[in-house]
Amino acid sequence: MIRLGIRAASPFAAVVGCYLLFAGHNNPGGGFAAGLVFGAVLALRTVAGFHQPTYGVALVAAGVLVVAGVAVMPLLWGGPLFDQQVLSVEAPLLGKVKAGSALPFDIGVAAIVVGTVIAALDGLGASEFAAGPPARSDGGERE
Amino acid sequence: MIFSLLVLHVAVCAVLARAGRRLGRGSLLVGAVPPACSALWGAARLGDSQPATADLTWVGGLDLAMTFRVDAFAAVMTLIVSGIGVLVLVYAFGYFGPGTAHTGRFATTLLAFSTAMLGLVWADSVWTLFVFWELTSVTSFLLVGHKSTDAAVLVAARRALMVTAGGGLVLLAGLLLVTGAAGTTLISELAPVDGAGAGATAGAVLVMIAAATKSAQVPFHAWLPGAMVAPTPVSAYLHAATMVKAGVVLVAVAGPALSGIVAWRGCGIAFGVASVVWGALGALRHRDAKLILAWGTVSQLGMLITLFSVGTPAAVLAAVALLVAHALFKGALFLIVGEIDVRAGTRHIDELGGLARSMPVAFAAAVLAGLSMAGAPPLFGFVAKETAIGAALGLEGPEAWIVGFGVIGGSVLTVAYTVRFLVAVFGPGPETPLSARRPALSAPPAVLAAAGVAAFAVLGPLDSVLAPAAVRLSGGAAVGHLHRWPGLEPALAVSAAVLVVGAIVGLAMGGRPGQAPADRAARWTDASIDGAVAVGRATVARVQHGSLPVYLVTMAAVATLAATPFLAGISLDHIVAWDRPLQGVLAVTVVGAAVALCWVGTRLGAGLALGATGIAVASVFVVHGAADLALTQLLVEAAIVVGFVLAFGHLSRSFPMTGLRWRAVRMAVAGLGGAAVVVGLGAASGNPVAAPPLAELAAASVDEGGGSNVVNVILTDIRGLDTLGEVLVLATVALGVQALARPSASRGSPTP
Repeated sequence: MIRLGIRAASPFAAVVGCYLLFAGHNNPGGGFAAGLVFGAVLALRTVAGFHQPTYGVALVAAGVLVVAGVAVMPLLWGGPLFDQQVLSVEAPLLGKVKAGSALPFDIGVAAIVVGTVIAALDGLGASEFAAGPPARSDGGERE
Repeated sequence: MIFSLLVLHVAVCAVLARAGRRLGRGSLLVGAVPPACSALWGAARLGDSQPATADLTWVGGLDLAMTFRVDAFAAVMTLIVSGIGVLVLVYAFGYFGPGTAHTGRFATTLLAFSTAMLGLVWADSVWTLFVFWELTSVTSFLLVGHKSTDAAVLVAARRALMVTAGGGLVLLAGLLLVTGAAGTTLISELAPVDGAGAGATAGAVLVMIAAATKSAQVPFHAWLPGAMVAPTPVSAYLHAATMVKAGVVLVAVAGPALSGIVAWRGCGIAFGVASVVWGALGALRHRDAKLILAWGTVSQLGMLITLFSVGTPAAVLAAVALLVAHALFKGALFLIVGEIDVRAGTRHIDELGGLARSMPVAFAAAVLAGLSMAGAPPLFGFVAKETAIGAALGLEGPEAWIVGFGVIGGSVLTVAYTVRFLVAVFGPGPETPLSARRPALSAPPAVLAAAGVAAFAVLGPLDSVLAPAAVRLSGGAAVGHLHRWPGLEPALAVSAAVLVVGAIVGLAMGGRPGQAPADRAARWTDASIDGAVAVGRATVARVQHGSLPVYLVTMAAVATLAATPFLAGISLDHIVAWDRPLQGVLAVTVVGAAVALCWVGTRLGAGLALGATGIAVASVFVVHGAADLALTQLLVEAAIVVGFVLAFGHLSRSFPMTGLRWRAVRMAVAGLGGAAVVVGLGAASGNPVAAPPLAELAAASVDEGGGSNVVNVILTDIRGLDTLGEVLVLATVALGVQALARPSASRGSPTP
């Protein structure tokens, strides 16, 4: 029953996370909050046994690269570190769409947060919750 | 151009790191391309009076920038670093026979070192200089430890790293003090620093000590002879021509600013003269041809440090000439010894004989380079030595005696060990069997030795290049000129006497059998490194004991102590009970939950109480209208709940029992910690230093950050660097968690 609930709720929670990620620049939200929502979704799904936490550190590394890239990029055209570049487009249906370099920055931050949550789940032994026995019996017999 | 050259170096480095294994020996020749470009550029800049500059400011607010400036002196150094670099890489092609393993790695590291050294001599900002200084230490460590399977090699590499990197830390402290006193971080803007301040004096002494570690001055010299376990191209390039000159370069460029400080001169002359004498004595006693040269290098570096520390225009000119001459003759001699080592299979002087006949090219080159080292005409070394003696004779006061003793006594000993070296290595004896000739081995030393003759022949144009460099290093004072033939002066008489006495001593020592001295300095250096490591281990064992409660208590206690000065600044006038009654209710909830957290004995109860405090605090944020904070706080609470759920599986249901006294200590520290936060906030909010920048931030947020949520614009733009730091902390935490989890995962037994 709980598993079903988690399964049903997770897409909506993920959408909320995406909303927070994109809305953050003008409304409450942002990369950190979005990362926490995604992290919570993953954590719930892990506890429910849908996932095994993996690639946490890889995600963190990717996030660090993106964040550092956004920070250093303006140096290439002679601007100061973290110089904000804003791109404004008139898109069909959506109206005026604005995206600054803060967006990739926030995405990077979110990736780092999610990666940290995954690493923490892994560290706390969340793989025990995973469906199927392999992880457990494997370790037990080796002793 | 400066950046293009650096990028070229780094790019070729990256290519070699990837393709080095496939290219094999050929990577040495590929690696010679960037230094060749730099050398050409340096040569083209030699006559140019206008310095080339380049800078890349990356955090303007913190005055952080990569700043380069290639003036007359830096151009000369560029030619030495890159020109000899090309020769050494070509030589290495012959040194490592076909099919030698790891030549790709060697070429990569050598090119990386060359890049770091170029950055060092080009740097204008002291912090740029510092970064490249440390890079040379690291790459030198890798190059000394190239034959990483040999235990003796690893000991020598560690010694070289510890001494030079330790010197780097000293340099950092010294630069902080000196730039603080001088008010600028640009070397070209350093004005003469007043010697009165204690900070400036301490900084100058620290900088001098750092230079002494890098340039292997007594008593930090032990790493340099030890580093002779490295392949000979490394010894010739790093430990004769370039890296050991880094300390000399530092003393040279800082000289105009610091030479007014008595301690700077005193320290430099003490290091220099001690090294001149002790290094030369070592060169006279050792029986390994390469070690003889290494000890000779200690002595010559001492001479350079002495002359640059004295800092009179004549001494600076002599030092610049000697710097160039030393790079030429010592580089050549090292390469010749390397060739002997490769072809004869030994470099012990007792086992070498008849080489004058069997290796004529090497012999001729060695004689030219050796005579230049001894300071005999008609070679460039003669000009340098002559100028140095003249500069020493021109001094006054007690300094004159000490420097005179160092320069003249050192010159006598230099002649002596040069003669001994030539006689012992090339002199008569049973003929040593040799392997086949390799042109790549004999050409580079011949080029360097011939350059010593050529430099003497074309002294006029050379002087017009070196004199501006010396002018730059003596703070703009006129330095005079280098002379091929100084005329019948006291210096010439002294020089002649030096040659005669030195030759007699050298010939007397030349054939004498004996034992190489035990290297006590190396033992002491290793013992002090071991001691430092042991102290470090003991400290870590005591401080990082692994008890979480003790860590927390320590942190809270330190924070409490840090808050005590604010007690005086606290004012109660502006503190109101609440803006809205709801805040009072929430505050009571927070406090109640916190108290309950301390009382409950089960972990589940504690987790619930902790959640209650968190949610109540989030509600306080909501009441204040801080939606971002509240949202984040609630999400964090959710993540913590999941963490608890997972962690409870591994833990006992209740907290372990603790002693009553320890409990009392923790309660006291916790209470005081809370009080400290209240005091800190009270004092901070009661003493505003400026009006809250709310309006400006809101305006800047829309204009510069392109967003209307000020909190997030602050995070991603206005204080972006802080956020970068924070997420890096987070990333480090993730790595730490992963590293902690790994061993338990591999042990693999889940808690029952």
